[in-house]
Amino acid sequence: MKRNARLITAAVLGLAGSVGAASAEDLVLGSFGGSFADNVKACYIDPFEEATGATVVTKLGSSSQQAAAIRATAGDSDMDVVFADNAFAVQLANEDLLITLDRSKLSNAPDIVSNAWGANDSYVAAMVGATTIIYNKDKITTPPTSWNDLFDPKYQGHVTIGDVSGTSGWQFLAAVNEMEGGTLDDITPGIEKIKPLAKDAVLLYTQADQVVSLFERGEIDIAVWYPDRAGVAASKGLPLAAAYPKEGAVGILPTISIPKGVENEDLALKFVDTILDAENQKCFSELQFIGSVNKKVELSDAVKAMVPTGETVENMLILDPQKMSEVLPEWTRRWQREVLR
Amino acid sequence: MVNLRSGLLLLAPLALVLVASFAIPLIMLVPTSFREYSPGHGIITDGWTIRNYLNILTDDYYREVVVRTAWLGISVTGLCLLLGYPVAYLIVRGNPRWRLPLVMLVIFPLMLNLVVRSFGWIVLLSNRGLINNLLIDIGLIERPLKLIFNLTGMLIGLTHIYLPFMVLMLVASLQNVPRDVEAAAATLGSSRFHIFRAITLPLTAPGIISGSILVFVLTISALVTPRMLGGPVYQVMATLIYDEYMQLLDWPSGAALSFSLAFATVLIIWLSSRMTKRWAGLA
Repeated sequence: MKRNARLITAAVLGLAGSVGAASAEDLVLGSFGGSFADNVKACYIDPFEEATGATVVTKLGSSSQQAAAIRATAGDSDMDVVFADNAFAVQLANEDLLITLDRSKLSNAPDIVSNAWGANDSYVAAMVGATTIIYNKDKITTPPTSWNDLFDPKYQGHVTIGDVSGTSGWQFLAAVNEMEGGTLDDITPGIEKIKPLAKDAVLLYTQADQVVSLFERGEIDIAVWYPDRAGVAASKGLPLAAAYPKEGAVGILPTISIPKGVENEDLALKFVDTILDAENQKCFSELQFIGSVNKKVELSDAVKAMVPTGETVENMLILDPQKMSEVLPEWTRRWQREVLR
Repeated sequence: MVNLRSGLLLLAPLALVLVASFAIPLIMLVPTSFREYSPGHGIITDGWTIRNYLNILTDDYYREVVVRTAWLGISVTGLCLLLGYPVAYLIVRGNPRWRLPLVMLVIFPLMLNLVVRSFGWIVLLSNRGLINNLLIDIGLIERPLKLIFNLTGMLIGLTHIYLPFMVLMLVASLQNVPRDVEAAAATLGSSRFHIFRAITLPLTAPGIISGSILVFVLTISALVTPRMLGGPVYQVMATLIYDEYMQLLDWPSGAALSFSLAFATVLIIWLSSRMTKRWAGLA
């Protein structure tokens, strides 16, 4: 009996030891799913694993799901590095759940555009995306030029927009609201304008990849969507093009951050550095059709045609993430109560 | 007869699991549900409020979702009962050679993942789905019918998914109905319908009630199927709770809603088990 107990203790200790050893080598990355995850693997994880010998495990989820997980495990996160849109990153920073990124440990920090950094360097934007108009260029021959084109009766029943729970949903609401003369604190003009469009929409999508099948099946000709997703779909043969409305597309800044309580901070920082590296940024931009935050990156023509560049970036509506994290719950409530009913 | 001590021992494993994974987490929700949430800053930990509960009663959107959830639960339960009873009757009273294939048919959908079954319904019911395409091709309709992201889609999907539970419960209770009671009634001149109404139905009441409770509780707490077949437009309590937690990060409201749902469920189970006792007592 006594011997048995000792054996069991030894086995348990051994097991615990091996688990501990394994987790020290591992890095858990919170990432968005779909093609985003594939490209993160190809451009960031593979070079990182090769250089360090560590293994990266990904945990997929949306920005809000990752944020909820980090709050639930406050100070003892199961993730070491996390992708999240800046509105959520700023909320996590406010709740004191993120570590400060030490720029002196990031060799690529000097090459990163200055407005990519969050307050107190608690996060850094990893790419520049947009919410804009994507259309089927076989069906629509004159490219749309304004958010108002989506409300054109000739597209009625062939439009999709995102639900407010997704980035494109609230960003489109913000853009339309501004076009209609509202402010971030007064969303009524936007809600009133969008209501009929949402009622007629084929679907209010909650997952970005739902839109691909809607275009494939010919259910829609025009959508409020992301040029990066459209670029990937176009490279696989869908006749899609991006149009940047004259009122300005809305900028998306997916960020990268490290939650407090990370086991191996240096390894996590090294991964952030890998993401910011010019070569890896170019690789990701080319595959994901998304703008880069590294000043040294030169994009190919096919990608330039899809992603926001030059004038479209200057014209872009960039929403203050701090303000957004404060007003978004109220927008969501009003959307649920007024748009969806 | 099992004495008290061994009875407790037999219950202990399940009771421990229930306490650890259900009762304690549920109790932990209680304090959170009385906190205030400040968007962009997090949960405010000083001070208490009952606003989260008041909102459920006073906010007409929450009220609509609560009523809708209850209505959905009742409708799905009714449909499962109507569709399930004949199947269960056929399994028990039909040709014994059909019994195994029929039971297999009922159980088979349970072996498929919930997401796959729900996705199957999306393929069938969407605007350019199989059903709408077929109806348009044969010229019955011009514009696609709205079969999804509304009550119709939800009723179809949930009834399909929870029907096996109802059938299995009914089979068990139908098997317990002694055939000679029915035969006795027949020799005394009862019609087949009268036998069914006066004998079979009351004797299967416990099965009907427990099947109904099971389906009702599963329906009002279902998350995956309502999310997939209801989209963001057609919210029920479970999806609303999920959104409060995961999208709005408003845990206090989510906790208040969860606690209300759990309380309502327990209340319904308690009421129905009282009803069963009465009904079974009368029968």
